[in-house]
Amino acid sequence: MNPEFPSTPARNEKTFRFFSYFLVLFVMTSVVMTIGMVLQTGSSWHSEMIIGVLLFIVIDRLYTFRQLRSLTPFSSEWAIAVGGQWILIFLLLRLLLSYVNGLESFQNDLSLFARGYIAELFTLEFVVTLLLALLVWFLTGRFLDLLEEIGLNPTLALEENPVIQSQVVPAHQRLVSLVFSIGIGLVILTALARVDVEAITTNTQGLPRIEFRRLSGGEAGTLLYFVFGLALLSLSRLMSLRTHWNRLRIPLSSQNLTRQWGKYSLLFLLFLAVFISLLPAGDSFGVFSVLGALLSFLLGVLFFLGQLLISLIFLLISLPFILLGGGLPNLSPPPAPPPLPNLPAQPPVPVTDSAVLAMIRSILLWGSLAAIVIFVFIQFARQHGGLRAALRQSRLMNWLSQAWQWLSRNADKTRAGFAQAIAEGWQSLVSRLEGNRTLPLPNLLRLRSLDPRRQIYFFYLAMIRRGDEQGFGRNPSQTPAEYAATLENALPSAAEDIDSITEAFMAARYSRREIDSREVEDVKSMWGRIRRTLQMKAQAHKKQR
Amino acid sequence: MAGTFLPLLVVLLIIAAFTRGDFALTLIYLVVGALAAGMWWGRRALTQVETKRRFSKHAFLGEQVKIQLQVRNKGWLPVPWLEIRETLPVALVGPNSFQTVTNLGPNADAQFEYIVQARKRGYYPIGPLSITTGDILGLSSSLRAEIAAEPFVVYPKIIPFTFMDVPSQSPQGTLRSTIPLFEDPTRVLGKRGYTSGDSLRRIDWKSSASSGRLQVKVFEPSIALETFLVLNLNAEDYYYRSRVDSTELAIVIAASVGNWIISKKQMVGMMVNGRDPLAADGRPQSAPARKGKQHLMRLLETLARVETSDNAALPPFLQQQRYQLAWGTTLIVITGSANEALLDELYQARRAGQNAILILAGGNPSGEEALRRAHAFSIPVFSIASERDLNIWTQQLRHA
Repeated sequence: MNPEFPSTPARNEKTFRFFSYFLVLFVMTSVVMTIGMVLQTGSSWHSEMIIGVLLFIVIDRLYTFRQLRSLTPFSSEWAIAVGGQWILIFLLLRLLLSYVNGLESFQNDLSLFARGYIAELFTLEFVVTLLLALLVWFLTGRFLDLLEEIGLNPTLALEENPVIQSQVVPAHQRLVSLVFSIGIGLVILTALARVDVEAITTNTQGLPRIEFRRLSGGEAGTLLYFVFGLALLSLSRLMSLRTHWNRLRIPLSSQNLTRQWGKYSLLFLLFLAVFISLLPAGDSFGVFSVLGALLSFLLGVLFFLGQLLISLIFLLISLPFILLGGGLPNLSPPPAPPPLPNLPAQPPVPVTDSAVLAMIRSILLWGSLAAIVIFVFIQFARQHGGLRAALRQSRLMNWLSQAWQWLSRNADKTRAGFAQAIAEGWQSLVSRLEGNRTLPLPNLLRLRSLDPRRQIYFFYLAMIRRGDEQGFGRNPSQTPAEYAATLENALPSAAEDIDSITEAFMAARYSRREIDSREVEDVKSMWGRIRRTLQMKAQAHKKQR
Repeated sequence: MAGTFLPLLVVLLIIAAFTRGDFALTLIYLVVGALAAGMWWGRRALTQVETKRRFSKHAFLGEQVKIQLQVRNKGWLPVPWLEIRETLPVALVGPNSFQTVTNLGPNADAQFEYIVQARKRGYYPIGPLSITTGDILGLSSSLRAEIAAEPFVVYPKIIPFTFMDVPSQSPQGTLRSTIPLFEDPTRVLGKRGYTSGDSLRRIDWKSSASSGRLQVKVFEPSIALETFLVLNLNAEDYYYRSRVDSTELAIVIAASVGNWIISKKQMVGMMVNGRDPLAADGRPQSAPARKGKQHLMRLLETLARVETSDNAALPPFLQQQRYQLAWGTTLIVITGSANEALLDELYQARRAGQNAILILAGGNPSGEEALRRAHAFSIPVFSIASERDLNIWTQQLRHA
């Protein structure tokens, strides 16, 4: 047996733990940075201080996670540990928030606390920061919990409970969901951070116009979050696979699997980065202008319908008052329904240096988006069997499928025709250069494309053809053995080879056993010797003449 | 995965539409690119992995066979992880089948070896080999491919006889005979379908051409002396309590007798009424009487594969096959029990000039009755209850 290396969880536990914690720290730092950037753009709060505190909580959570985990949840020890930790965070937050406003404010807050005005200390900034601290504390713990379940904690990871295992979504999948869910939140947060609130509030007529500012710092944080998130997923995948192999007692036969995994993950992320940098991005080429205009139009229609509905309700409420002759109740008049928004006539196309370049980039962008949408749709259909079956039955899909088949058939034909044209051209060129006549393509036989059995036929038939050319033709009534005897009489020096090639041919032709390439090689060398003998015989014959 | 992937993509698209591209589009590329590239890598890696098994496809009982497994990545794309699991019959390896995990660089290969033990006669599949791989992020599910199983034959046990006490009319008897008897190709009795092992010189090309199937000539029976082993694997003919052991014993007897006859440079054929997993119709092909080690291997191969079958009574089968046998042929019938119909058929064979010997394999309560009846028909009977009883043919010569 090969030397095999047991994939004991303990062996790699330290390495995995180090890298896991490292990546969780980076992922959470990205989250905190994004939140901080959002706070910075939307308010006059002390975002730098909040970021610092949140990072401190992440590090504290990473440091104390194992100790807290060893305690029984909701036991008195656990409550004391968690309570102590949170009292410290609470006090630290409050003191720091007071301190950053100046020494005077700090003293003022202390005196408020001493006099018992606790409620005065709960400012909006403090409450939001406290909630954010709670969120960060929880998310860090959630990441670590899942990683423990995936493989950081061998005892927990290898725990065999078939009932639970069959019902619960695998831990790695839950981690993927967590990474993407936080990602959704961050993307929305980053987009909200770019909304120009002032522009919205100043626009009081009709549909509020959403204005977006240029790039904010939150984007970098979100992008980093996804990069580190993918790296974490790669590590988690390796850990989950190792746990799976340990559970099934499958030994590892590769010593460098972990190291290579790290290398491949880095290369993969690098490839993605290069790939993304090559693809067109930005608010160019009208793609997103069209999409944005369409969405704005949709929102406008919805807003218009909403306004219309409110007007009707207002009319229905005021109708009894009008009929009874009473005055109208003190209701604010309904807003005038806004005019229906117009569809954009032409998306704004940015000015670029080269029109051709702009067109190529535009095609690339549209193509990438179309590919993404089709890819996502296919994946979605694959994961939802019912939808797939329904789509197969629909007429449109049938028509599309037929169209696709027709297209692919034609593409194949064109490709084959093109390949043949190239081959013919090449053949013609080579023949001209060599001064030979062009061989007709249909008669060309590619020996390598034949299976071993047919290659043996080929060599045997070549022997008969060459024998015939030299005057040792095969009588149609002759069996291979009889013809071999005839040829052996004519070429006694090659008798052994003739005998062997005949036997090989008979075995290939009449037996069912598999013919391997080594036999073909033998037959080929035999045929080479017979051919030389035939050539020598022919030369001797010419000389005699 | 789609549970969160799709909402993320929708959110990103909406935000990209409102913010006119930029970072949202980059994120779309990143997320979709990671998923698509991962899936593509996994699929590509699976298609470019080539596996090959190298092992001796035949083994005698008790032998250890080394199986070499070569896994090669014939592409430029590395395979980050590859789970290899070989399904092996319990009879060969016990509960532990071969499984391992490896990774393959571009154009790299890995060699594995494991050993199977030929513990029990049979026709076994080695495999199928399942290889599993997937993307390194775990965004898509693992991909699996199966490589077809290859057959492995364990020949039945052969007990080397030094002597076999059978009547002198049998082929063994020809050893003592001074009259050499051969087939006479000038006296054609009839035609029959071609069976594996028939000499090409026996093929009747004209009738083959007219019938569309290969036909061989059957020569005059009166001049050939052959032995035919008739192995009864009809489950009902074996005592139900010891059916498995008794049928295995019957196969061991057939193999040992065949080996003995071949070792004495005599011709032996075989017909079995059991089930052959390789035959198209499930019935084992009858082997014509031939000499030589190669023929013995062919017989052993059939004996390695055959299994018991139901509702395959021996007398009608024997009646059907007997007419194709030469005059003077010795029929060595190996069965679990002998009923009236079988003894009658053997008696008819004797009347037609063929010799019949009955070997009762395994314990059977009705064995005594069968013995009494066989004596009444003057048919020699040997009752072999276990392998130890075969010692009568392994030790007698030493006594002599």
